[in-house]
Amino acid sequence: MQKVITDQVAELLAGFGRLGNFVGDMARSLRDFKVWLGLTAVQMRRIGVDSLPISLLVAAFTGVVLALLSRYIFTGAVPMYFVGTLVGKAIMMELGPVLVCLALAGRVGASIAAELGTMRVTEQVDALETLAYDIQSFLVVPRVIAATLMFPVIVAFAVTAGLLTGWLTSVTLIDLSTVDFLKGLRLFYQFKDIWFGLLKSMSFGFTIALIGCMKGLNTRGGAEGVGRATTQAVVVSAGMILVLDALWAVLLL
Amino acid sequence: MKRRDDILVGFTIIAALILVVGGAFFLSESQLGQDATFRTARFRTVGGLGVGNPVVLRGVRVGRIDEIRLGDGDWVETILQIYSNVQLPDDPAIIAASASLFGEWQADIISLAEATDDPNVRRDLDAAAAAGDDAWPGATLPDIGQLTAQAGRIASDIAAVSSRVQTAFDSEAVLNLQGSIRDFGEVTDRINQFATSQTEVLSEVGENVRDGAAVLRSAADALESTIARVDAATSAGELDTIVNNTMALSADLRAAAMALRELVAVVQANQASIENIIQGADTVVARLGSGQGTVGRLVGDSTLYIEAVQAIAELRSLVNDIKENPRKYFKFSVF
Repeated sequence: MQKVITDQVAELLAGFGRLGNFVGDMARSLRDFKVWLGLTAVQMRRIGVDSLPISLLVAAFTGVVLALLSRYIFTGAVPMYFVGTLVGKAIMMELGPVLVCLALAGRVGASIAAELGTMRVTEQVDALETLAYDIQSFLVVPRVIAATLMFPVIVAFAVTAGLLTGWLTSVTLIDLSTVDFLKGLRLFYQFKDIWFGLLKSMSFGFTIALIGCMKGLNTRGGAEGVGRATTQAVVVSAGMILVLDALWAVLLL
Repeated sequence: MKRRDDILVGFTIIAALILVVGGAFFLSESQLGQDATFRTARFRTVGGLGVGNPVVLRGVRVGRIDEIRLGDGDWVETILQIYSNVQLPDDPAIIAASASLFGEWQADIISLAEATDDPNVRRDLDAAAAAGDDAWPGATLPDIGQLTAQAGRIASDIAAVSSRVQTAFDSEAVLNLQGSIRDFGEVTDRINQFATSQTEVLSEVGENVRDGAAVLRSAADALESTIARVDAATSAGELDTIVNNTMALSADLRAAAMALRELVAVVQANQASIENIIQGADTVVARLGSGQGTVGRLVGDSTLYIEAVQAIAELRSLVNDIKENPRKYFKFSVF
């Protein structure tokens, strides 16, 4: 039993070590901007623009549910214009970034891990290395930078969609006027509400892409290994999103 | 394909930027393109006031809280962004207060002369105004949390009192209370009986009072008529005549008193001779009383009286005899 625990702790420490080395290699590869700069736009389109539909869908229904949930909570003494407050704060600061990034962890993280894992098990990565390509600057840096830059963009659209559906739900389903919804939305608004969510989503994007790349490039064992790497990438990314979410809350709130 | 990706990504990023910036301005109600002035208000404490809270003038939003910072001398300096087209009071002051029971705060611009009579608020405003420079004085009203805390303390006190009452209210006290209630019931019955009897008395008293009131009413009528007559007499000049007569009488009395005073003066002047006269009279009376002298003997001896009576009786018989027999005593001849 003690040996098992020791092995687990050692594996955890080794994992952090591999992550540190991987980040260090990636940082060193940033110098090769002529390589990764041209590839980043494609990744931004694939990671960012192509992820907009699922992100908007998640945020839109979140806004609907939040509005209805607020109506359910605010019965009796609490004025109904607080529906706008709750929808705004929750969408901008928490649910928008976290739920969208959890969804993107499945889409983007799994996509990156599966793509790079397949390249690894089919020895395409080895071929690139043989041809003297820097794997980090050719495969990792464009994806990580693209995710880091595009996740806030996606979250900005998602937050807007969530607020719009929350407003529409308030007006149509819970008989709240637009004026009251906006009053509640503006009541405790601070600019921090926006940049806090965007900053979090930026860190989530960096983490998801980094973990996806790392898991994909470390894939072993054929198709089964690709599946395992993909699953691990999603699970670890989801876990890291929640950990980072709590960390940002502790640091910034 | 590469160019299409670039355009798509660029468009997406620009759209997101517009959303973020526009949304931030929209939610903060920033007045883009509108001039604003920044004024400083000085508070001891700002309570729940925060950056972005509205600044209102007579209930209308005219700005927002731009910055809150700690200042010198234990003051809190609040920067107010106020739209420039607002007509402010001549002597502005700021009251920070809850806008509702749910934690919303606002800064209300008021005239310092029209500030509330609350001594705490007035004290804070005066202290802030006395601190100098051109910062507006500010005061903060207690929020619902402070009021709730006060209510909590009151509730604790009530709980302590209740606990003490509960401690004092043991089984013996309950028995005593039951006995007291029973006694109170009996007392109540007696009071009820007394009240019933007194009700009848009071009814009679009431009737008497009613009769008395009627009498008073008639007396009042009579008095009223008397007053009317007096008024009529007054108006006819009779009263003036009476007053004039009274004044004349007073003048006569005054003259009589003066004459009497003069008489008294004369009497006082002749007091010695009067005393001599009285003394002489007293001596005479004393001699009369002692039977000295002719008159004294006459007064003290009844012989003269008896003889006088007898002489009168004899004289009366003599007269009668003369009447009957005049010729016996008188003899007339003409020739």
